[in-house]
Amino acid sequence: MIVIGYTADTFGKAALDAGIAEARVRDTDVLVINSTAGDSYVDAAFAQPAQVRDVRARLSTCGVPFELEQPVGVYAADALLEAMSRPEAELLVIGLKHRNPVGKLLLGSVSQQVLLECPKPVLAVKPDEA
Amino acid sequence: MENFDWLLQGFAEAATPMNLMYAVIGVLLGTAVGVLPGIGPAMTVALLLPITYNVSPSAAFIMFAGIFYGGMYGGSTTSILLNTPGESSSVITAIEGNKMAKAGRAAQALATAAIGSFVAGTIGTILLAAFAPAISRFAVTLGAPSYLAIMLFALVAVTAVLGSSKLRGAISLVLGLSIGIVGIDFLTGQPRATFGIPQLADGIDIVVIAVAIFALGEALWVAAHLRRKPADVIPVGRPWMGRDDWRRSWKPWLRGTAFGFPFGALPAGGAELPTFLSYITEKKLSKHPEEFGKGAIEGVAGPEAANNASAAGTLVPMLSLGLPTNATAAVMLTAFVSYGIQPGPTLFEKEPLLIWTLIASLFIGNFLLLVLNLPLAPLWAKLLRTPRPYLYAGILFFATLGAFAVNIQPLDLALLLIFGLLGLMMRRFGLPVLPLIIGVILGPRIERQLRQSLQLGGGDWSSLFTEPVAIITYVCMAILLLIPLVLRLLHRDEESLLIVEDDKDQREKAQA
Amino acid sequence: MSAPEQDLPEAEQPETPERDVDYAQYLVVAVLALVGGFLVYSAMTLSEGFAKVDPVGPKFFPMVLGVAALVLAAILAIAIPRGSKGEADAGEDVDPNAPGDWRTVGLLIALFVAMIVLVNPVGWVITSTFFFGGAATILGSKHYVRNFVIGLILALASFYAFYSGLGIPLPAGILDGIL
Repeated sequence: MIVIGYTADTFGKAALDAGIAEARVRDTDVLVINSTAGDSYVDAAFAQPAQVRDVRARLSTCGVPFELEQPVGVYAADALLEAMSRPEAELLVIGLKHRNPVGKLLLGSVSQQVLLECPKPVLAVKPDEA
Repeated sequence: MENFDWLLQGFAEAATPMNLMYAVIGVLLGTAVGVLPGIGPAMTVALLLPITYNVSPSAAFIMFAGIFYGGMYGGSTTSILLNTPGESSSVITAIEGNKMAKAGRAAQALATAAIGSFVAGTIGTILLAAFAPAISRFAVTLGAPSYLAIMLFALVAVTAVLGSSKLRGAISLVLGLSIGIVGIDFLTGQPRATFGIPQLADGIDIVVIAVAIFALGEALWVAAHLRRKPADVIPVGRPWMGRDDWRRSWKPWLRGTAFGFPFGALPAGGAELPTFLSYITEKKLSKHPEEFGKGAIEGVAGPEAANNASAAGTLVPMLSLGLPTNATAAVMLTAFVSYGIQPGPTLFEKEPLLIWTLIASLFIGNFLLLVLNLPLAPLWAKLLRTPRPYLYAGILFFATLGAFAVNIQPLDLALLLIFGLLGLMMRRFGLPVLPLIIGVILGPRIERQLRQSLQLGGGDWSSLFTEPVAIITYVCMAILLLIPLVLRLLHRDEESLLIVEDDKDQREKAQA
Repeated sequence: MSAPEQDLPEAEQPETPERDVDYAQYLVVAVLALVGGFLVYSAMTLSEGFAKVDPVGPKFFPMVLGVAALVLAAILAIAIPRGSKGEADAGEDVDPNAPGDWRTVGLLIALFVAMIVLVNPVGWVITSTFFFGGAATILGSKHYVRNFVIGLILALASFYAFYSGLGIPLPAGILDGIL
């Protein structure tokens, strides 16, 4: 099973594309996780119903079995690491957003925490420059 | 016209750089807290009350008034973009406004809300400037018995009419009045309910109570119920309106103002009722009734004008009679008391420059709000990304800072905690907050008036009923208290009288 | 016109077979009784007013309020088992159907008490830093370092702002001399 960390922006879309491609190659299924800490009134990374429909549409045409989970009230890194601890999970795909050191200190870096703590392989992709 | 001269002087005062700065801070803060659900102008003014110890009255009130008006503006932004009202008075705006936003017309919705608020606020403030001094002049001629009657009427109106349960309103009121008892009796010099603590001799600092009830109590309550799922926000560019939108908006603006102002001025009016009435009226009068429920611009223009006009209306009894009709006005009155200024009909006579500066700055503030809100609307939406733990930790922080800075004694913090827990208890058990704070403010004044009236009347209780205004007020009070009983006898619910109209509409629609 | 009106009163008060009684409201009864009892007691220990034309005197108000509080307590105590419920405050940010997270509130209160006790000896800056950081953590923000950093910034800013801007010296506590 490929776990994809999805956010409602270009990074998430890049991760989704890469994850689907990997799943086709390995002939396995896909688990898309789009979580929110539930801290703020507005969370731009959390997929809203319209976006969820789009993602599901994309997933249903990609040719691999899929599941979409939207946990609420957990931190993104924790949600992804928890998913990766499941025995069938083999690879984690995330979109990589560049943060300078000050940004990392102030805003935290999900990618950094996941890359360092995940015991299984992690594929970090960047969106196309175009 | 002497008043006009005063108004011009007020403008001169309000336009000084220092006061303008406070006005800008006020409107920015006000819009910000209006946008954020869970935090409101009442809480913000309460949190800022401690500055009254060090800042000039005019500056402080200019800022508070800015926060008050700004709150009304900010609330509509959240209503439209998020379908969550930022302020309880913006609930109706959310109905049509959010639908408009979903249909891609968020810019128009925001524009009509902002411009409508400006129109209503300006007209409302003009009416305020016209009526308040007149009422005040009339009120000054009243004797102590009449003034006592009016204060009692305000107590009864707020307790018995607002809110769903009169029992709970009465409980709040009694608690508030009891808090007001703490201190040294003004006539005999004996300490009452001071628990032997010398610092309580002057009574419990009203700033501490306001901060505790409004800020701490609210923060603790929300802490117990933090919502988790983020809401859907609709991205929007700068607000603007097309010609057609203008044409459809201007009459609702005026009608909304006409609804809002009187309700704001009445002791039990509030802002929710006029916005609701405005919505129903616009629906009835609209040439496009089928659009209601899907995003009709009149449904945003009218209610928004109504709630801003009602904010202006609230200031009429506050400035002319010293009677607060909503929570923010009550907290602002607290500021008056904290400055040692006696609120009431003598305010216009004793502190004309302060009051007229305040009124002038309302005009300025309104204008600033329009100018700041139109281009900055997308920015305010970004504010909603602040994580709640920081928001509420911040509220707790500023509450303790404020209460502590009053006297630098931990006793005040202990009082803050105790009354904060009281505020929490009240929110849990549905005890309305407004009667309590009005009880704290008006209680000592009522007692003083009562005893002074009796003194002047030679100790004779019937002297309370000698003035015609007093008698009329007591009669009105009795009517207010008896209406619910009469209605119950006729097997009608008070609210059903209002819901009838809308319900009938819905049945017709369902059958059509 | 008459049909909808007659429907409404019944719709407004549905009969629920099991009463949804909120026994926790007895807390309010207890508070009211305490307040009322205290007021009546303290009113009785006051001496009479000595001005002859002050028939009311200092006892009147507390006595009236005390009695009113006790009466309201009694009414509420009777009304509670009959299903009388206050509408919990549904603020703009609150989901009133969720059960209250009282553990969070309890922790916040404990934090508050700690602050009350420590603020003068230890000083404003340190206590309020921990207060903010602690509150943010209790409320759910797991970025621990960030919580306390922001707390420190706010504490220092408020300390200096109040001192130089408003002339109020907040206690420096053990940092006295350093700040």
